[in-house]
Amino acid sequence: MLSLQDVHTYYGKSHVLHGVSLEVGPGEVVGLLGRNGVGKSTTLKTVMGLVRAADGRVVFDGRDLTGLAPHHVARLGIAWVPEDRRIFRLLTVMENLRTGLDRQGVTEPRRRELLDKVYASFPVLRERRHQAGGTLSGGEQQMLAIARAMTLEPKIILLDEPTEGLMPRMVAQIREIIDVLRRDGLAILLVEQNVPLTLEVCARVYIMEKGQVRYRGPAGELRANETIIHQYLGVSA
Amino acid sequence: MIPFEQLLVQAINGIVTGMILALVASGLTLIFGIMDVVNFAHGDLFMLGAYVGTTVFVTTGNFWLALLGACVTMAALGAALQITTLRPLLGRDPLTTILATFGISLVLQNYALWQYGPVPRKIMEPLTGHFQLFHIEYPWYRLLIAMLSAVIIGGLWLFMKYGTYGIWIRATTQDRLMASAMGIPVPRVHTGVFAIGAAMAAASGVLFAPLVGVNHAMGFDFTLRAFVVVVVGGMGNLGGSILASIFLSLLEAFASLWVSPAQAVIVSFIVLILTLLFRPTGLFVPTPK
Ligand SMILES: Nc1ncnc2c1ncn2[C@@H]1O[C@H](COP(=O)(O)OP(=O)(O)OP(=O)(O)O)[C@@H](O)[C@H]1O
Ligand SMILES: [Mg+2]
Repeated sequence: MLSLQDVHTYYGKSHVLHGVSLEVGPGEVVGLLGRNGVGKSTTLKTVMGLVRAADGRVVFDGRDLTGLAPHHVARLGIAWVPEDRRIFRLLTVMENLRTGLDRQGVTEPRRRELLDKVYASFPVLRERRHQAGGTLSGGEQQMLAIARAMTLEPKIILLDEPTEGLMPRMVAQIREIIDVLRRDGLAILLVEQNVPLTLEVCARVYIMEKGQVRYRGPAGELRANETIIHQYLGVSA
Repeated sequence: MIPFEQLLVQAINGIVTGMILALVASGLTLIFGIMDVVNFAHGDLFMLGAYVGTTVFVTTGNFWLALLGACVTMAALGAALQITTLRPLLGRDPLTTILATFGISLVLQNYALWQYGPVPRKIMEPLTGHFQLFHIEYPWYRLLIAMLSAVIIGGLWLFMKYGTYGIWIRATTQDRLMASAMGIPVPRVHTGVFAIGAAMAAASGVLFAPLVGVNHAMGFDFTLRAFVVVVVGGMGNLGGSILASIFLSLLEAFASLWVSPAQAVIVSFIVLILTLLFRPTGLFVPTPK
């Protein structure tokens, strides 16, 4: 469904992605691991069209996304939850959600249904719907970022380090949400530092190093193979 | 001791000028918020709007049609200008955008001079009577301007607060990239904001025209004051700009009780300097640490 083929990305003159190739199938939950600064976030931004791929192709549902503006990419069914959350801080929770809900082709009943679904997954957002996004706690902002992505009714969500800096209780909640999304048939490309969590929720895993994918395989294989984890990530699972 | 009537007259004068200044400044601050640069052509959109108003007024004789015609024409022109000259510069060094708006300003000014000539034109006010305010005859039209400005600004406020497009504008102002990743058509939002700003400038130009007459340099004075207001109110802060417009106009009106109106302008600049020194994010917003 989503596939990157030999993608190269630059920031100015610095060459960050050196030919990244990966695929995510419909409804598949795929992990993308790697140490700090290897280009995981850049990979997601390249898919969104937020940074331009200088070479290679990004294909989604048979469509070449390369060179497409981010808002077109989003409307094709790809949602992005950035690592720094990027809540619209001066907009209320409800207005943050409206940035995704108020699109063409969403009827009023459908809109209400979507909102109910989002509030059912994140009851705390309903309570805080008139509060400015910037006044939410870190965990609540993370939930709002995921909820906001859900309002786009995407086919795939690009999740960038959703559990970073969260308390264990919040991490468990994010984990649950990932399960809910998967059951709904959404595909997820999950970038994480939390290796155990990634291995639990993902069917397949990619590991990046220096702007390239160096390892790919089923999560089960990685779970059984401490040496690979240690070699590429410098941690033990 | 200054008599109470004079104070009241000046208060009314201050509010009237403040409201029309607020109309000019809110367009400017909206554009500033979303593009991060000052639009140097804003005063020329104001001036050209007034000229378009005179053209419609001469052909139809109707002030309201002139107001409407100027807004629609200038919105379209604003959109066209944004698409052709500013959209390609999105994401580049802000200096290029500043220069581009400066270029637009020169073109519009010279176009107006070439098209309409150097002789000032006039639009007749739709309401000519006066009412007695103590010892002076106060024109009804001035009150009408203040009220119309309030209505237009109120409309803008509601649109920005509740409308989908308003939410798009605010989201884009805060985080352009995230807005686009949410499927918001950011280039179209920029164009829309420029069109709204141009229409508001045109509306103020037409409303103000009966008081001063229309000439190709009429934009200058107002833009200068609108810039002051936008900085004092906090760059890109709509509510702040509106408050600052009224605050500064009142201050100038009262100051002119002691000094000549030309000298009273200095008060605004003193407030500007103090604001820049002590509250650089705007007089009405707390400075973040
Ligand atoms: N806007 C930018 N301009 C210039 N260089 C950047 C920019 N963003 C990221 N980089 C560089 O590109 C490289 C990859 O960054 P990226 O954010 O993709 O890494 P990452 O794998 O997501 O790391 P982390 O785990 O810390 O989030 C890093 O060396 C980073 O310094
Ligand atoms: Mg990252």
